[in-house]
Amino acid sequence: MEYLLLIISAIFVNNFVLTRFLGICPFLGVSKKISTALGMSGAVIFVIAIASAVTWCLQKFLLEPLGLEKFLQTLSFILVIAALVQLIDIVMKRFAPPLHAALGIFLPLITTNCAVLGVAVLNMKEGYGFIKSVIFGTSAAVGFAFALLIFTGLREKIERADPPRCFRGVAISLVTAGLLSLAFMGFNGLVK
Amino acid sequence: MQAIPSPFTFHGGIHPFYNKELASGSPIRELPLPVRLAVPLSQHLGAPAKPLVKPGDSVKAGQLIAEQNGFISAPVHAPAGGKVAAIEETLTPSGRPCASVVIDTDGSQEWSLLPSFPNWQAAGKKDLLAQIGSAGVVGMGGAGFPTRIKLSPPVDKPIDTLILNGAECEPYLTADHRLMLEQAREIRIGAEIIRQILGARTLRIAIEDNKPDAIAAVEKAFQGIDGDVALTVLRTSYPQGSEKQQIYSVTGREVPSAGLPMDVGCVVENVSTAYAVCDAVLNGRPLVSRVVSVTGDAIRQPANLRVPCGSPYSDLVAACSGLKGKAAKVISGGPMMGFAVSTLSVPTGKTTSGLLLLSSAKISCYTSQACISCGRCVDACPMRLIPSELSQFIESGDVGGAEQLALMDCIECGSCAFVCPAHRPLVHHMRRGKAIVMAQLSAAKK
Amino acid sequence: MDPIILQSTLWIGGIGLVSAVALAIADKYLSVPEDPRIERVSSLLPGANCGGCGFAGCADYARAIIAKGADLNLCAPGGAVCSNAIASLLGRAAVALEKRTALVLCCGDDDEATRRAAYNGINDCAAAQATAGGDKGCSYGCLGYGSCARVCPANAITVRSGLAKVDKKRCIACGKCVTVCPRKIIRLAPAAATIHVLCSSKDKGPAVKKVCGTGCIGCRLCTKLADGAITMDGFLAVIDYSTPLTNEETVAVCPTHCIRKA
Repeated sequence: MEYLLLIISAIFVNNFVLTRFLGICPFLGVSKKISTALGMSGAVIFVIAIASAVTWCLQKFLLEPLGLEKFLQTLSFILVIAALVQLIDIVMKRFAPPLHAALGIFLPLITTNCAVLGVAVLNMKEGYGFIKSVIFGTSAAVGFAFALLIFTGLREKIERADPPRCFRGVAISLVTAGLLSLAFMGFNGLVK
Repeated sequence: MQAIPSPFTFHGGIHPFYNKELASGSPIRELPLPVRLAVPLSQHLGAPAKPLVKPGDSVKAGQLIAEQNGFISAPVHAPAGGKVAAIEETLTPSGRPCASVVIDTDGSQEWSLLPSFPNWQAAGKKDLLAQIGSAGVVGMGGAGFPTRIKLSPPVDKPIDTLILNGAECEPYLTADHRLMLEQAREIRIGAEIIRQILGARTLRIAIEDNKPDAIAAVEKAFQGIDGDVALTVLRTSYPQGSEKQQIYSVTGREVPSAGLPMDVGCVVENVSTAYAVCDAVLNGRPLVSRVVSVTGDAIRQPANLRVPCGSPYSDLVAACSGLKGKAAKVISGGPMMGFAVSTLSVPTGKTTSGLLLLSSAKISCYTSQACISCGRCVDACPMRLIPSELSQFIESGDVGGAEQLALMDCIECGSCAFVCPAHRPLVHHMRRGKAIVMAQLSAAKK
Repeated sequence: MDPIILQSTLWIGGIGLVSAVALAIADKYLSVPEDPRIERVSSLLPGANCGGCGFAGCADYARAIIAKGADLNLCAPGGAVCSNAIASLLGRAAVALEKRTALVLCCGDDDEATRRAAYNGINDCAAAQATAGGDKGCSYGCLGYGSCARVCPANAITVRSGLAKVDKKRCIACGKCVTVCPRKIIRLAPAAATIHVLCSSKDKGPAVKKVCGTGCIGCRLCTKLADGAITMDGFLAVIDYSTPLTNEETVAVCPTHCIRKA
């Protein structure tokens, strides 16, 4: 039950993109086509899930015993996440070249994506155990994917519309993102 | 034979004002023979017929003047006797120019007929089909598909139901209505011939309930017919006359997307086509004329005229005592699916069912706006498409996306454009999109 | 030194080293080889992604040049500069490319040419053409609904008074307007040519005069002054751009003023 509440909270109530405003870069960058968005979502879920697990282990078995967690947390987390994303980049280029070409610059940008670091740090702050960390991390990524896919669908439709000149391009997308965020505020209070 | 109410109703559709009372009371009369006929060589779906005559030749009424050109094609016959003046391009209602045989008529009554089949019940299927093909009979409901091919479905598509389309759902038009009132006997014979060719077990005559007199006349004419025959009284709704919708209303069977009526064991034929089949088989007369409703509020005397193919529209207008003032819009066909023409020198063809002359009071020039996603078009579409999305895809140039949303299933009935509050030219978008898809397909084939 | 600093440095350095080794191993066994020349050719191309070369963007054209041996002179915006640079990079001989421009072969704007009906539909030439053959009196002339102007990636086409006109200076000769025109009256001509017959009507003289005051009536006066550069296609004068045409008297002698200097 506790896990269910955790999942719902991560996906809807405290959606990482629309409520916490983390991970806006790929949210705006990869939301042009549903196929690309799906691919990105998959990559992010994969990275965050593994990153949650690895950073938890790093914290528990290296940093805390050495008492270094207070000031080395950010640095070591970023280092590990960067290596992880680079590895995924190489694997994807080898095994899924079209997806790799479609994601382009945004795959390496997951490295500096505040959402990934945010999940890792939040896990530590909340003091979750290993299982909870991974579940929270994966749910957060699923929430990101959810918001990304909705937004992509909206953007695809806006692409065919004819907005006023001053709104064309990113402008109308940002307005839409704001409205979407407003809509997600409706989930407030769903989970105490 | 009994009249039964239609067991099903198709999705969507609209209920426009019909204004059929303008012409429904006028019995069919002959158009005075025009001085000049421009007989189009393409009055059917498929390749235009190949002319067999040249300028200077004398022709008799009913004489073969152009032969079938390819498998999907139909021959063309002279509607009246006279001399061939030229073979030149004329403008058709759809806007595309078409080669035509121009005949200066001389009023001679001599006919060149095909051998007839008075004892058609004993005739073989092949002979009857050959007769229908040689007579140039095509679907007169508007598509003009060569009837001989339609009545020769492949062996793996057995036909068990023949539906006679007497719905005439287009507003203003009354040609089929008058034909059913006055020539129901010939329609019956035509239906029986077609049923015999197809070997269909069930025959249904579908008529909308806004034509009670036609229902009575057809009921009377079909008395004593053997087999599973019934008259299905359809709920008046546009486009009840569209074959896919009619098949659903009469039998409950849905023609699959990108499919044909024969995929569900049905064949739909217009009552005018049945009449033409009877004329061809019983009398050996090729298809050279048809009933055209000349109607609208800008014509002095709306009428239903039997018109030889190739008659210029101006002759039809003159035969109805001319215009009452100015005609702001002239439509070839009905107001929903017809084509607006810019000149009255366009000739009629085998599929011209109506000529609509409307004054400026009855038309409006609209300015269209962006789609407001109200969904009225989705409610109205009889083919269950999403016209708002399709038009947005086509407008932004993404025809591939539209194709994935089943653009090619659109029957261009106009229900969506009729209900759109933003006055978007939806049918225009669909037509454009479909033309682009067809162009891509033919380019890919090369 | 404070032991914590030393420890931190060593541990971070250690994690970094381990990651580096892991990545190096992954790179060795999972890397995908790509010809480095593609990247270099791509950087030489203009990057407009106009599609004029016939490929899907500049990167695709670069790939086609290296992998499929595509012609070097297909890039119209890049021009001779670009094709020469690529040629020298690849050690191939440079190919000369003649500068071309698009030309709308019609000069019948709304002041000169009649319209036979009021068109109320989609603001697009192909849509207008599909509706009863278009609303222009002349069935060959420019409809003026701007489909060519909208598709031009260089904004070189303007529509004024129902007639489209190409600005020679901006045109990159990508050919998109030629494809999109439903009446097929736009053609690519050498930019150096200055005299053009701006009419596409194949109708006879009297029929042309009925619908347009400035259409070609097939009088043939220009053919006599053109040294073979102008021939008649039925009742329409057509210029053969491979033969140089410099006699400006052809412009003056045309009775309907459809031969213009541009």
